[in-house]
Amino acid sequence: MSTLRLEPARVGTLTAREGEGRWYGFDLQLAIFALSLTVIGLLMAFTNSADDPLRAGSIFTRGLTWLALAAIVFVASAAADHHWLRTFVWPIYGTGIALLLLTLFIGSGTGGVSRWVSIFGLQFQFSEVSKILLAVVLAHYLATRSARLGSVRTFVGAGLVVLPMLGLVLVQPDLGTSLVFAAILLGALFMSGASLRWLTAMVLGVLAMVPLAWQVLLRDYQKQRLISFLDPAADPLGSGYQLQQSQITVSSGGLFGRGLTNGLAGENLPVGSTDFVFARVGEELGFLGGAVVLTLFALLIWRVLHVGWRSGDTFTLAFSGGIAGMLLFQMIVNIGMVLGVMPVTGIPLPFVTHGGASLISAALGLGILESLAMRRSRST
Amino acid sequence: MTADPARLGEEMAAQRDLAPRFVAFGVAIVLAVTGLGLRLFQLQVAEGSSYQAYAEQPLAIERPVPVARGLLYDRRGRLLVENVPTFVLRILPAEMPFEVRPDVAERISRLTDIPARKIIERLDARTGSQYEPVRITDVSTETARVIAEDPRLFPGVQVDLEPRRQYLQGKLMSHLLGWTGRISGPEYQRLKDEGYYPEDLLGKAGLEATYEDVLRGTYGLELVDLDRQGLEVRAPDLLREPIPGRSLELTIDSKAQRNGEKALKWAMDRVGIKRGTLIAMNPQNGEVLALVSLPGYDNNRFAQGISTSEYRRLLKDPAKPMLNVAINEQYPPGSTYKLVTGAGALADGKISPTSRIKTEPFIEIGEWRYWDWNKQGWGPLDIFDGFGHSSDTFFYKVSGMLGIDRLAYWARQFGFGKPTGIDLPAEAAGIVPTNEWKERTLNEQYFTGELYQAGIGQGYNMSTPLQVLNAYAAMANGGTLYKPQLVRKILDAEGNVLERVPPEVIRELDIDKSVLRTMRVASRRVVTIRHTYNLVDLPIVVAGKSGTSEFGVRDSQGRLPFSNWFVAFVPKDPRKTEADPTGLAAVRREDSDLVVLAYLDDTRTKGNAATEVVKYYLQLHYGLKTDLRQGWVLERGNFYNLNS
Repeated sequence: MSTLRLEPARVGTLTAREGEGRWYGFDLQLAIFALSLTVIGLLMAFTNSADDPLRAGSIFTRGLTWLALAAIVFVASAAADHHWLRTFVWPIYGTGIALLLLTLFIGSGTGGVSRWVSIFGLQFQFSEVSKILLAVVLAHYLATRSARLGSVRTFVGAGLVVLPMLGLVLVQPDLGTSLVFAAILLGALFMSGASLRWLTAMVLGVLAMVPLAWQVLLRDYQKQRLISFLDPAADPLGSGYQLQQSQITVSSGGLFGRGLTNGLAGENLPVGSTDFVFARVGEELGFLGGAVVLTLFALLIWRVLHVGWRSGDTFTLAFSGGIAGMLLFQMIVNIGMVLGVMPVTGIPLPFVTHGGASLISAALGLGILESLAMRRSRST
Repeated sequence: MTADPARLGEEMAAQRDLAPRFVAFGVAIVLAVTGLGLRLFQLQVAEGSSYQAYAEQPLAIERPVPVARGLLYDRRGRLLVENVPTFVLRILPAEMPFEVRPDVAERISRLTDIPARKIIERLDARTGSQYEPVRITDVSTETARVIAEDPRLFPGVQVDLEPRRQYLQGKLMSHLLGWTGRISGPEYQRLKDEGYYPEDLLGKAGLEATYEDVLRGTYGLELVDLDRQGLEVRAPDLLREPIPGRSLELTIDSKAQRNGEKALKWAMDRVGIKRGTLIAMNPQNGEVLALVSLPGYDNNRFAQGISTSEYRRLLKDPAKPMLNVAINEQYPPGSTYKLVTGAGALADGKISPTSRIKTEPFIEIGEWRYWDWNKQGWGPLDIFDGFGHSSDTFFYKVSGMLGIDRLAYWARQFGFGKPTGIDLPAEAAGIVPTNEWKERTLNEQYFTGELYQAGIGQGYNMSTPLQVLNAYAAMANGGTLYKPQLVRKILDAEGNVLERVPPEVIRELDIDKSVLRTMRVASRRVVTIRHTYNLVDLPIVVAGKSGTSEFGVRDSQGRLPFSNWFVAFVPKDPRKTEADPTGLAAVRREDSDLVVLAYLDDTRTKGNAATEVVKYYLQLHYGLKTDLRQGWVLERGNFYNLNS
């Protein structure tokens, strides 16, 4: 199979086949799990379209468009030689920061909040793409320090790499996404083999800052959400509303669900097609459907880690660790929110949530992983 | 990364070291998925039925039942304000799918000129329920129809009717009635425990604000059951009966108000005076018949929701149309204050009605000369002629006898230095300086020259036009200082009288009635001595005092702008009679039922413009056939040689 062949800057001692994609190394499982989750998401978009789902501009048709784009991004990034990523790591870092700055300045606000940039009438959340770019930069940084991963300077350096992006997301303000950035950092450090002692210290330090964050960083609506998470019944039509409704919606599914398109959630789950999509999965596909989604996530994340395991080089380990950390964190927070065990944040469920930026960036992340899997420096 | 066998070995070693971490991560994945799965199982299978039972239970919420706001009538029962229905566009977030928000916002934007971005922002700023409508804007009947005709294009958009205040007299009464407007964030925080709701309307200025509690009534409360779609399951239970707002009958006579506006406007337009006020009141009970402040503003603009730019323009206008000249600002009372000095000296026994005091061109203190306004003096004068000519040197000497603290005591007796308590917001207090006041504010003792200034209402003295009028009302009625009031009766929704508002006495003056009689006669002397020559020929008996105060920012020649006062009372049967051609007998009585004051800011007229305003007002008030106006008084001229 002939692929688009891009030569990395450094050739040196590489073997003749080095750098060229070997499609037999393509991790098919990874792609299949991701695709399955995406299809479930589309199914939900189909049943969620209030009117004709096949009408141009409906959630479903837009979802199909995004899927097509995501497929192109996935194939292109898998076909491209990942070594280029390390060659151009600083431009990539600059792009990530520029996207966030752009969002801050021209982004659409929601009550003083700017998160989306409208492109051709489609709202696009650049911070989603920045997550993947951050994982690349972080992996590169850790790879350059692979000999001194246990040193505290590696920790400080990695923190400094993450800080500008995290800060820019925080001032949007988007607390949820900034926590995702932290999860990427944590995953990358852990899987690249960084010192456990310092990792523990970092996690404890962040936890110690929670009271400060409550005072300084959180806006009133965010506090309101956290309070309503603790006591959703206090204001059932107010901010506790989505929480309670989503639990009621999920519980109505029972073991086997109401069946596709039989859900009532669309009428009382305001963002049923986006952040609360898992509630709809639970309602229409029941416990079995929900369990399938959870299992697919477990397999997918494991498969992401597996790419790192098989390669053994620090860049791949760190990148796959970052992506796995991101996926695991988003899954826990999003599904936990729907099930009433996590506070409401605007974090999407990867692949399943209807949302272009989320899907495209996930496809980009997996594409890079595939590229890493196909161009390992040694064969298994 | 490289095929170097040595490094390859290192990496493999690293990989082996990392094996426990893979296991740990794997365990984390399994734990997370299992935990969430168990929670899912609990919700859907184990406790599913109890959640469903909960969900099928209708949701009970309490909802306010608004009532119509009370109305306002003038003293003859003429309606001054109506509640008219206005279309309001609201969005029910729960019924507007997230995906169509930009499109619908765009459509609304095209109909209303509100940027789509703003609409989305307002929706997102909401913190309450999905079923709590978010008010976007008032819309025209035309727009309301467009939306109603094609509701499919506007999912979640509601157009409701909401009562809005329509002030039938517009600008004429704006300073009195004020306006109602949308509750602001801080106001809501303050009032939410008193039954106010977000987006509620409340009185923001004038009587609408003062009588908010009376006019608003009490909203009722109903309990509604909503199903999962947010629809009402059954007819709501009324938990609390709404109590309609009560209406007010004002003391204002809209005809008198219109006469006052006409008289004031005539004089102001003639020479281009920017600001002025006219107040007419019944001195027997403090009922205000007319209170005009020009320039005014259109309170209907506010009731309908004024734009920020228009509001800013009003606030920036140098003529300050939002301020009520009669009560919101204070000015030096000028010669009208000689009532206080004269009555105080008589009451303290410093002078008697027969004492004569030598008036002079000026009085010299050190290097300073304190001039009489005519620069000549009149020789020895008694209180009648001293007041009548408004001799400054006469009152310099009298204030010297009284001293600043005694003068201040009498000023406070007449109500200066303290808000009168009229039922309008933000009344100024005025300043009555004393030794203690000067030490406190300027860290100095009073000196004689300043005392002289205080005796003629200049220097540090400040009063509102209403305070000056009220002092003369107390003189006219024989010594009772009433609180000026604007409301006579409180009515129910059907117009039945619930409560009559009785006159409220601030104090009985600590002054012998004979002293006040002396001052009333002296006030009539102001006219008969031809000090206010333009009032002599009136067929009705008018007594009063003119005043000119210098105040403000000096012009290029270093002169202060000057403002004109005239405050007058009219005895009960005011027509001149054969028996009493001078009216001096009539003013001895205490039966006056009309006091009128005019104050005009920065006049620069040949004569005292305020006297012409009061005269024209009386002409209209008593329906005099002959036009007594003398326009030449209002011509531009240098008044500096003609101080009152």
